[in-house]
Amino acid sequence: MTLLQTKQGENLLFHTFDDTLRTQIEELLALGKSAGADLVEIFLEKSDNISLLAEQDDISNVSPSFGVGAGIRVFLGKKDGFVSTNDLSIAGLLFALNQALDMLGLVIGSNKNHKFDGLANFKDFGSKKNDWLDHSPDLDESTTKLLDATRSLGNKNKNLQVRRASYSRNWQEVLVAATDGVFARDIRLHQTVGINVIAQKDKNRSTSARRYGSSGNPDDLRNWDIEKSSVELNESAQKMLFAEFVEAGQMPVVLANKFGGVIFHEACGHLLETTQLERGTSPFHDSINKQIAHRAVSAVDEGLSNHAFGSISMDDEGMEPQNTLLIENGILKKFLSDRAGSLRTGHPRTGSGRRQNFSFAAASRMRNTYIKQGKFSPEELIKSIDNGLYCKSMGGGSVGPTGQFNFSVEEGYLIKNGKLDKPVKGATLIGEAKEILPRISMCANDLDLAAGFCGSVSGSVNVTVGQPHIKVDSITVGGR
Amino acid sequence: MNNEITNKKIGVLDPKVLNDLLIKYSTQSEIHKWDMGASSSRDISVQVQQGNAKQLKGSQRNSMTLRVWNKYNQVGITSTSDLTSEGIKKAMKGAIEASLFGNEKESPEFSSLAKAELEEINPEISNSHTIDQLLSILKKAEKQLINTHKSIDSVPYNGLNESYMERIYINSEGANRHMKLSQSSIYLYAKAEEENKKPRSAGGIRINSNLDELDIDSCISETSDKLISHLDYKSIETSKYLVCFTPEAFLQLISAFSSMFNARSIIDGLSLMTEDSVGNQISVPNLNISDEGLHPKNVGAFSFDGEGTPTQNIQLVSNGILTNLLHSEATARKFGVRPTGHAGLGAKVSVSPDWLVVSKSKSKMDKDSSLSIKDTIKEYILIDELSAIHSGVKASQGSFSLPFDGWIVNDGKKTSIEAATVAGDILKVLSSIVKIENEQIVTHQGISPHVWVENMSITGEA
Repeated sequence: MTLLQTKQGENLLFHTFDDTLRTQIEELLALGKSAGADLVEIFLEKSDNISLLAEQDDISNVSPSFGVGAGIRVFLGKKDGFVSTNDLSIAGLLFALNQALDMLGLVIGSNKNHKFDGLANFKDFGSKKNDWLDHSPDLDESTTKLLDATRSLGNKNKNLQVRRASYSRNWQEVLVAATDGVFARDIRLHQTVGINVIAQKDKNRSTSARRYGSSGNPDDLRNWDIEKSSVELNESAQKMLFAEFVEAGQMPVVLANKFGGVIFHEACGHLLETTQLERGTSPFHDSINKQIAHRAVSAVDEGLSNHAFGSISMDDEGMEPQNTLLIENGILKKFLSDRAGSLRTGHPRTGSGRRQNFSFAAASRMRNTYIKQGKFSPEELIKSIDNGLYCKSMGGGSVGPTGQFNFSVEEGYLIKNGKLDKPVKGATLIGEAKEILPRISMCANDLDLAAGFCGSVSGSVNVTVGQPHIKVDSITVGGR
Repeated sequence: MNNEITNKKIGVLDPKVLNDLLIKYSTQSEIHKWDMGASSSRDISVQVQQGNAKQLKGSQRNSMTLRVWNKYNQVGITSTSDLTSEGIKKAMKGAIEASLFGNEKESPEFSSLAKAELEEINPEISNSHTIDQLLSILKKAEKQLINTHKSIDSVPYNGLNESYMERIYINSEGANRHMKLSQSSIYLYAKAEEENKKPRSAGGIRINSNLDELDIDSCISETSDKLISHLDYKSIETSKYLVCFTPEAFLQLISAFSSMFNARSIIDGLSLMTEDSVGNQISVPNLNISDEGLHPKNVGAFSFDGEGTPTQNIQLVSNGILTNLLHSEATARKFGVRPTGHAGLGAKVSVSPDWLVVSKSKSKMDKDSSLSIKDTIKEYILIDELSAIHSGVKASQGSFSLPFDGWIVNDGKKTSIEAATVAGDILKVLSSIVKIENEQIVTHQGISPHVWVENMSITGEA
């Protein structure tokens, strides 16, 4: 096999990513500089993942996977070339480096005045995480836990026609080295549990789903409160089973905490990434220190909360994360920036350079993003509305390039005279970030976070969304 | 360090070497039954911004999924992107460990057609281009698009890609499939803004097996025409409307509910259909739907699926009657039919359509034959593209609520809709079709004519 025959020298798959790689990586980086590159960055990755699925009372899928890869990025001026490869042999990496240089018209050795001072001291953010993989649940323990979950759901109600529980464990070891001296390693561990059901009674059907996730917590699955989750999920499915379709219109809504924050993430957060500024598609590009939201709204993006799904010890460009205040009392304070974003827009890096894996170049991405809590109780928000909608559980949605959004409501209730009324289905929230942010007039005192996956230019990354209960004075609700 | 580029053939798979390694490691592990699917790809892509290169990308990627049967006939799999000898050895170990948790109640087998003769596809493998050539083409396209109208200020999302792919399926009983193909694609998503109006955007995409034959000019003109038509926009009232779906939009909708035709989804209780639904009328009687992976316009078609079964064209709906389903080996065995060539590879094998083709049955009449996309004077909504499919569709319930790009058409005059959502029930939609136009149009995701549906719920922006 040609691929195998071309493997030469060491295979980094069987190497711990540590300081012993310094010489080899410095040689590669020096070659890149000798071609005249402004900056060369190498990202190495090993992964070890498991995904499991339980359906009804059986384990129906066990899918382990592992992999290796490297992404090499070369900057020249404001342009960059990026090449990814599965081949971690020295020859494979050299091939990728040459390809990336060639994209920018650069040839190794052509710039005699190149200067590369070598890598800085090795920063090992993973030194206390080496045992995470071994401490995570094995197949036996994790399959048992999933079957406990589907059994628990089955015990809740006989009309749950489909009961599914899934578990994913993603372990990743990464190393970042660049000609500006960055030389850092980290280990990441992310676990998610998902449960979903289909309830059926006569011709009525309802679906309900929940997902939980954490980072850096090997015991997360072990500590999962199955009973609490299955009670909540079953209640939601039963309430929605006989729900009527909501009538479309313009109305005030209260969005619940946790995953309700997905709208802020999608409709506003993405517009505060320098990736969007570069494209010229953010309506907030010239709004720093200007009022873009109601003064009740303050929002942050940070990578620091303990075990939160979007937390990181370093970003995928080797920078430690920050607590970035995005909006303060409605005034835009900062954008999220990565290396390329900083180069092209001038906004300083915020430790937000993230990528799904080696095959993507890092880009400015959110981490844990949430609206800060206010002073009201959730009940006060509902009491303030005569006719409106309470969105207890949000589904997914989409956002257009300039902030137009559309989100489905998984579990909704009408609000009548300040009280929750009957459940309704088929509701979607439609709006535009610039118009809706000034209408968030009340924030409750119950901030909570929820794990999610965010797909964008650098692939799917783990994030946390969040908010307290919030009230939007008026929004278009789609229905029938 | 030797800086010679030695990996000129990186990314090329050799089935014989893979087969020999798998025989070696399976024998060492006392595994007598296994199969393996591998793929490899090389691609380069460019993005531009206002005449300058923005990002240039290249990749060489390999992956493999190995499936083993242990002595209790339990199946385990492992996937890896490391196709070195050591990687394959590790994958064998992982698959054997996973097999201990294999589902004894539903164990996949080899496809009975894994060694059957394949349909001749023989795609032409195009000559590769350099990054500079791709950049030059895309810069020119961006410039041409911006120059089509004074209000078009940028093409914020764009890309030109050229890729080479190969796929292998081999098993311990001697099945040996191997196929290569090339593919190029361009997407252009432009933005326009006029004074005191909201920014508007629209896009187009083209795919071909050969970059030199990629129809870039039509992608530019389609994007420009759409965008210009969206510059003047208005909000519409929330109400029930007569709707005409463009071929792209109707295929999006049918694809979103393709679990209706998916035997795996039916068995799992995730489909609107049941095991007894074949033979039932599910739409108006002049609708035909087929899945035609072998259609000559289906760029990127492989001649076999993840289990090695030959790709086949399958009639799914004929005269409105559900006639066939899409199958893997396991679902076909359960239904007592032959696999259809729509399987992935796994411990639990997924099933998915290849290339949907919608057509009008010649033997049945339209409910309203007077409707025509060319000269209808009635008021209707023309839905061009649906969004948020992943979140706005409840496939197991049949309901959907989706934002769309489109126009309200009155007396033949098209006016862009500012923002709106279409909601409904797929079975109701299929039974409310009033006209299927004769002309079938090839899109990048399948083939369909324009399809007219009455009484669709539309929510406008109030």
